[in-house]
Amino acid sequence: MKAVHKNILTLFLLLTIAVILLHGLDLEHEDKQESPLHMYYLETYEEAGSINLVESILLNYRAYDTFGEVMVLYVSIAGILILSEQKKGGEKD
Amino acid sequence: MSSPIINTAGRALTPFILMYGAYVTLFGVLSPGGGFPGGMILASGIILIIVTHDTEEIKALASHTEWFDILGAFAFLLVGLSGIFVGGAYLTNLWPDNSFMLILLDIVVALKVFAGTTALFIFFFKLEVVKCSTD
Repeated sequence: MKAVHKNILTLFLLLTIAVILLHGLDLEHEDKQESPLHMYYLETYEEAGSINLVESILLNYRAYDTFGEVMVLYVSIAGILILSEQKKGGEKD
Repeated sequence: MSSPIINTAGRALTPFILMYGAYVTLFGVLSPGGGFPGGMILASGIILIIVTHDTEEIKALASHTEWFDILGAFAFLLVGLSGIFVGGAYLTNLWPDNSFMLILLDIVVALKVFAGTTALFIFFFKLEVVKCSTD
């Protein structure tokens, strides 16, 4: 595979990634209808206890998801630390 | 790696970083911030010390961070379960219509992220320190 093929391939790859990302931005999509959930969040986030909308959603409306997130974080770090343990006397290669 | 200049600079900077991390965590209700970013800033303060100092202090530190890690995760669980004891469903707001519950959860999350990141960093940065602290 000559160097020029690699360049073309990487260029092609970058272009596809760029297209996907730009599509994700979805700027021109104006007629996004306001779903009732968004409106509910926007109207009542002060009663949820915080002026910071993100915080009130993260810890109050969707605290169960945050609980899952904390557990995922915990399990991943515990797993890594377990992997680093030594069997008794066994040398870590 | 640990020349006196870097050591003193690290020691001089860390309290301010930790204070800022605590501010971001505690004021997550009012201003942008909260548990996760606050915890990361706190971790960066401690990591500054870990990088600049040799392994003895880190050995003592390593074993504690794992405990804080466990503490943080299960404190969130306890706060959630306490919602049931109060009578509501899981994770109900213990103090309705004010932000104590949010701040409490913030602190717990920040503790968790802080301890987890520090333990992770110690694991990757000083592999032999973690080995001797776990057996």
